[in-house]
Amino acid sequence: MKDRQPTGAGGHAAPDQSNDRWNDKYPHLGTAPIPIEPYISREYFALERERIFRKVWLNVGRIEHIPNPGDYIVVALPVCQTSVVVVRGKDGQLHAFHNMCSHRGNKIVWDQGGSCRNFTCKFHGWSYGLDGGLRFVPDEERFYDLKKDRLGLTPVAVDTWAGFIFIHLDPNPTETLRAYLAEVVPGLEGYPFSELSATRFCWRTEIKANWKIAQDAFQEGYHLPVRHKASAADAFTSGTNPHCHFLSLDLYERHRRTSSYGNLNYQPTPVAGMAYQFGSSVVVDRDIALDNLPAGVNPTRRSDWSIDTFWIFPNFSIFPSNGTYLTHHFWPITEDRTIWETHTYFPNAENAGQKFSQEYSKVLLRDILMEDGTTLEHIQDMLASGAKTHMPLQHQEICVRHAYRVVEDYVGFYAGR
Amino acid sequence: MAESGWPVAFSALQPFLDWALATEAERTQKRQTSEMVDIQAFYTAMLSHLEDILVYLNQFPLERMPPHAQQLMDMTLSLAEIAPAVELFGQPREDDTFDPFRFVPQHQ
Repeated sequence: MKDRQPTGAGGHAAPDQSNDRWNDKYPHLGTAPIPIEPYISREYFALERERIFRKVWLNVGRIEHIPNPGDYIVVALPVCQTSVVVVRGKDGQLHAFHNMCSHRGNKIVWDQGGSCRNFTCKFHGWSYGLDGGLRFVPDEERFYDLKKDRLGLTPVAVDTWAGFIFIHLDPNPTETLRAYLAEVVPGLEGYPFSELSATRFCWRTEIKANWKIAQDAFQEGYHLPVRHKASAADAFTSGTNPHCHFLSLDLYERHRRTSSYGNLNYQPTPVAGMAYQFGSSVVVDRDIALDNLPAGVNPTRRSDWSIDTFWIFPNFSIFPSNGTYLTHHFWPITEDRTIWETHTYFPNAENAGQKFSQEYSKVLLRDILMEDGTTLEHIQDMLASGAKTHMPLQHQEICVRHAYRVVEDYVGFYAGR
Repeated sequence: MAESGWPVAFSALQPFLDWALATEAERTQKRQTSEMVDIQAFYTAMLSHLEDILVYLNQFPLERMPPHAQQLMDMTLSLAEIAPAVELFGQPREDDTFDPFRFVPQHQ
């Protein structure tokens, strides 16, 4: 493998220590400890439900999941107390509806996805087109003045960006998806999502933790040398960056992005080395062709870089790397229960070597995530004890601070107190 | 039992055919319920042939592998599954990590 010197950002081997005191860049966020209440309060959760999740665009998948007319996915949204069907219509356009028959409320679709020509309720046989319009009602003449044209499935707004499907529970949202994502679009424009989405792996689990506890764990590298000592510390820390300081970060009004360090002197284990030799890998790739990445990914153009993260409010994140990317969704159920879903994407594996390489990458990712999983539930247990009221945060945890601030700006729990 | 066509060069791997598992869920189950000494033996046997296996398998189309090649393919995927156990953790599963059976693959 090539031996390469770190470049970029003035050619320093270590992250520029002069600019990683991130609170100095965003003084409006303050430096005070943040309250624990938003992680445990049922009242706070009820406000998040009403003021965030029912009011913003939410990512529910990618267009590759439903490429053909009639293909659909069903998205459980316990946080919004509903289930939503997203379907590709005969016209090729996406449509989204609450998964509810207009007759007596039965769920129209019972599985998680598939392909169909129309939606027929399994209760009384009411049938709807892919556009949601009511087409057929058995024994229709026995109803009283049935207005079929007003009894279609209840629509939900749906739109896409870069192949990512977003829905909005307001069928006529005041803000377009493009406007909603405007802060992060320049950073990801040109990233080859479509090419890299050919192979998809996904894990899902339900954890006993608040959705923000789960999300926060992936918003800082400070825990990495400790929690991931065995699995990932060698690749993502070094003597010059022992605490996994970010290479760069930008906080926006609602969203944020970061660049993470990678250790150029990392020596892969035998199997990791073989995986790297035969294909892509989540571990540091020393042959990164930086010019192949769009300008917004690894914007400092440092070679000692591993992965970027784009946090899309409220619960979706995209981690673009070189030749592979992953996403997390944290879907709240209650104030202390969350569905955690991770997808990792690769280009189409064309041979056995590439398939092996992808398998190793996903297994290593999964094992690293397993290390995170336990802390989430331990933290929730103890935050709920009430033994403490606040948590102190350092510069490298500014994304946690920012996430708290953005949520609170929507929720306004402390505004009148 | 090994399918016919099994290359002589890889005959030393035939005792490990119980690692020829088609899905991640099966491979995880095998890793998490095996003794470390057995995992280590499989790792050692596979690693010494890995590059040759992958070069050999690369001649077959992924979706239409002959049965013996598919077995070898699935064994390399099992090697990927157990590699962190051997190379990073020294045990099938780290102490105090999330229950691997709760993190459910939605893929094969």
